Amino acid sequence: MVSRALLKRILIYAALIIGALVMMIPFLYTVSTALKPNAFVFTADFFPDRPTAQNFVDAWGSNNFKRYFLNSLKVAIITTFFTVAIAATQAYAFARMRFPGKDLLFYMYLIAMMIPAMLMIIPQFLEARTMGLLNTHLGLIVFYVVGSIPFQTFFLRGFFEAIPNELLEASYIDGANRFTAFARIAVPLAGPGLGTAAIFAFLASWDEFTWALTIINDSGLRTLPIALRLFQAQHGTQWGLVFAASLIAIVPVVIVFVAFQNVFVKGISTGGIKG
Amino acid sequence: MSPWRKGEYVVAALFLAPGLIWFWTFALYPLLYAFWMSLHEWRIRGTSEFIGLANYARVFQDPVNLIALRNTVVYALISIPGQMILGLAIALLLAKATRGKVVLRLIYYLPVICSWVVVSLIFMFLFNSEGLINRFFGESLGWVDPNTAWLNDAATALPVIALLGIWKGVGWVMIIYLAALQGVPKELTEAARIDGASGFQVARFVTIPLLAPATLFILVLLTIGAFQSFIQFYIMTGGGPFHSTEVFLSYMYNQAFNFLDFGYASAIAWVLAGLILLISVIQFRFIRQTYSY
Amino acid sequence: MPKPFHMTLLTVAMLAASVGMAQTITFWHTYSTGSGEEQTMLEEVIPRFEAENPGITVEATAFPYQEFRQKLLTAFAGGVVPDLVRMDIIWVPEFADMGALEQLDEYDGFAQLQSSVFPGILATNFWDGHYYGLPLDTNTQVFLYNSDAIDEPPATFDEFVTFVQEASDPTEEVFGYSLPGPYAWYFLPWIWSNGGAVTDPDITVASGYLNSPATVEAVEMLVGLYDEGFLAPTIAGSGLGSWEGLGSGQYVATQDGPWAYPSITSQYPDMNFAHAPFPAGDGGSISVVGGEDIVMFSDSDDKEAAWKFTQFLLSPWAQMTMAPTGQIPVIKEALQDPYIQEHPFYGIYLEQLQTAKPRTPHPEWPRIEGIIQTAFQRVVAGDASAQEAFDRAAAEVDALLK
Repeated sequence: MVSRALLKRILIYAALIIGALVMMIPFLYTVSTALKPNAFVFTADFFPDRPTAQNFVDAWGSNNFKRYFLNSLKVAIITTFFTVAIAATQAYAFARMRFPGKDLLFYMYLIAMMIPAMLMIIPQFLEARTMGLLNTHLGLIVFYVVGSIPFQTFFLRGFFEAIPNELLEASYIDGANRFTAFARIAVPLAGPGLGTAAIFAFLASWDEFTWALTIINDSGLRTLPIALRLFQAQHGTQWGLVFAASLIAIVPVVIVFVAFQNVFVKGISTGGIKG
Repeated sequence: MSPWRKGEYVVAALFLAPGLIWFWTFALYPLLYAFWMSLHEWRIRGTSEFIGLANYARVFQDPVNLIALRNTVVYALISIPGQMILGLAIALLLAKATRGKVVLRLIYYLPVICSWVVVSLIFMFLFNSEGLINRFFGESLGWVDPNTAWLNDAATALPVIALLGIWKGVGWVMIIYLAALQGVPKELTEAARIDGASGFQVARFVTIPLLAPATLFILVLLTIGAFQSFIQFYIMTGGGPFHSTEVFLSYMYNQAFNFLDFGYASAIAWVLAGLILLISVIQFRFIRQTYSY
Repeated sequence: MPKPFHMTLLTVAMLAASVGMAQTITFWHTYSTGSGEEQTMLEEVIPRFEAENPGITVEATAFPYQEFRQKLLTAFAGGVVPDLVRMDIIWVPEFADMGALEQLDEYDGFAQLQSSVFPGILATNFWDGHYYGLPLDTNTQVFLYNSDAIDEPPATFDEFVTFVQEASDPTEEVFGYSLPGPYAWYFLPWIWSNGGAVTDPDITVASGYLNSPATVEAVEMLVGLYDEGFLAPTIAGSGLGSWEGLGSGQYVATQDGPWAYPSITSQYPDMNFAHAPFPAGDGGSISVVGGEDIVMFSDSDDKEAAWKFTQFLLSPWAQMTMAPTGQIPVIKEALQDPYIQEHPFYGIYLEQLQTAKPRTPHPEWPRIEGIIQTAFQRVVAGDASAQEAFDRAAAEVDALLK
């Protein structure tokens, strides 16, 4: 006789696992393609007859792939840092302070989120040229950060609003000023939000293609998405290679995500007040 | 004005300054410049001709924009509810799970991590007329014609692209809901259980209403995302066959980079921005009314 | 009129300075990184040029083809352009029309190069009375067939129709022919071979050409065979790709460029394939010219060095060095080269190139192409008759040419 609680547990897990399997099908398909020798299109067999890791070896070893990988990593990490730092300070101001024009500024960000980024490519390109940011990683970082600011500010504001006032008041009584209260109380309490924001920022930078293609000319400065696109020759594509390279490109993002899992899981009330 | 109040403004200004200056310089100015472009017969080099609102008039007369509107709405109506319902269900179930949480969460989130370019290619092959879907659902199960050309007809292409949208976005919705669930006080749900409510009733009457802010946030973001979808259309159908799967941004991209009509392209994008704004405002109003607390 | 003395002095001083100065030319291209194209360029061609021209460095950068146009347009809009670009032949008139490209006809040695290359592909560089580039490599499509399944490829349209009907086996899903896709690049050879056209020779009008009986008849022939089940679904953009279909025996014949053969044979080593010229209709056996031109941007700040490199790329040595990577030479001299003469199929491509036509050399070509592809796709989908669809397309193209 199975207890009701156990039955419920089994049902929950069954649903979750079936869902997970369905989610995995396209990936398994990708992996199987990457393992097929020199496949330029998908044959019907789901599992390759003669699996080979050659595509992964070729992808990793081919023209500067390692370098593109490191470029992407550098740009994504710096972008993430600035995005989260700037968005957090702003979101905190929007959540916990009074100042004139607050609503107006906030609506400005909301509206900016609704405008397709593609609209700005030509003006931003002209601007980057004037400032000497063309063909530099700084040019990528500056515009990636600005692309994320509206959304991240909007996103993080909710986390700072959720912090109980008493905690902040208590810290003022202990002699903290607004900056130390922000750094010591608000930031740790908004940890899960900041972790999520960091993942979003990292992902956005890691996958960005159009802007990177637009301003980077030197092949030594390229990022991964451009390299992936280059695997597609003009006439016909080496799918096995493209997918092997794509899978390699996913690895750091998976690592980042797993690393931040703990942040998600930690409760809002952790981090606390440790002097 | 009290000195304390003044001090508060200074502190707020210090908090806001880096972001605002950054944003005004590198986003707001280019946006306004793009608006300026949309008022011109814009030439990539040389002198552009000021034509006032003529580009905007063209946006409303161009039949392709109507098709784009229809397709975007269809895509949104399929993909947004799909992502939200499934994402919420997964989040609620995961919150109850104890073991394997990390792995399951990662699997559901993995598509979010992948670049649009790659997942679009993968789905192109899944739904190729010789692809896995036709083999399995067509030849093995006989549910569909095994020779269906999914991406060659707007009637099937849009649902396929929307399915890709659901698959890719469901993990994102799940993550937001999981973060929001952290904020649902345990006392409330436990109290409801003690009062004899079933798990479903607790979800329906306690948890989901408390998640309303997250729901609004997700809905608005997904709507913006749906209206700004581009890469999946660009890669999977290119807007074809004969514009039947065109969306605003695929059409705009073509106007800008294939036909060099930057003025018209900017006008399309600004009209789209206005449309998104309108829809978002309506959503805010509607949800605020439904869950006023 | 004599120049003032100090000006002459200044010129001399500048010349003296430039001799000792290192010059760098930037060269953007879309040579594929997955093949020998880019390697040969970087490891053989450029080093030799640099050795012969001390003081000039060539910085070559590869870009993805699909986004190359956007990249070039943005660069031009921002005034940050490369010196030299290897660009698709169909873009040259448009970039010339924008004022982006340098006129090359006045350059020293241009006439000599002009007479050394094939006229068909040279024509793609001509716009508004001037030459804005030179051909660099060329390609075209020919008839590609499974030689185990048929002995004699069809030589005429009538033979083609008979062949397709006999070679197909609808019950086994075997199709006699695969038109690889519903794109102008693939169906234009059929229209031209039947005597049809997109516009008049002077590119002033499409009505009477794009909707002429010869054009409509060619489209009706292809779509009719498809409707009867003899042509692969690739004509509608679906089904097994033409290469895989040919390799797996499901398609008996198709058409493609020189890059297809190595890919198909590496994947299906047990099958035998052969090349043949396009079947001839009332207009002859007319294929479409593809390839790339080398153009110089008018913003280039090192035109002299860029021109030197252009000349070098058209030298017989450079042309023949690139040939084994699949870059068909554009110089007439190559026809006598033993490598070309002994090559299994380059000969057929070069023969086909003698009569091949370029796609309408007009700045509006990207739009025109969109219009005629839409028309063709409507006919394939059964939305309109060939006459209706191409009548409408002709009217739309007329409006663009005005």
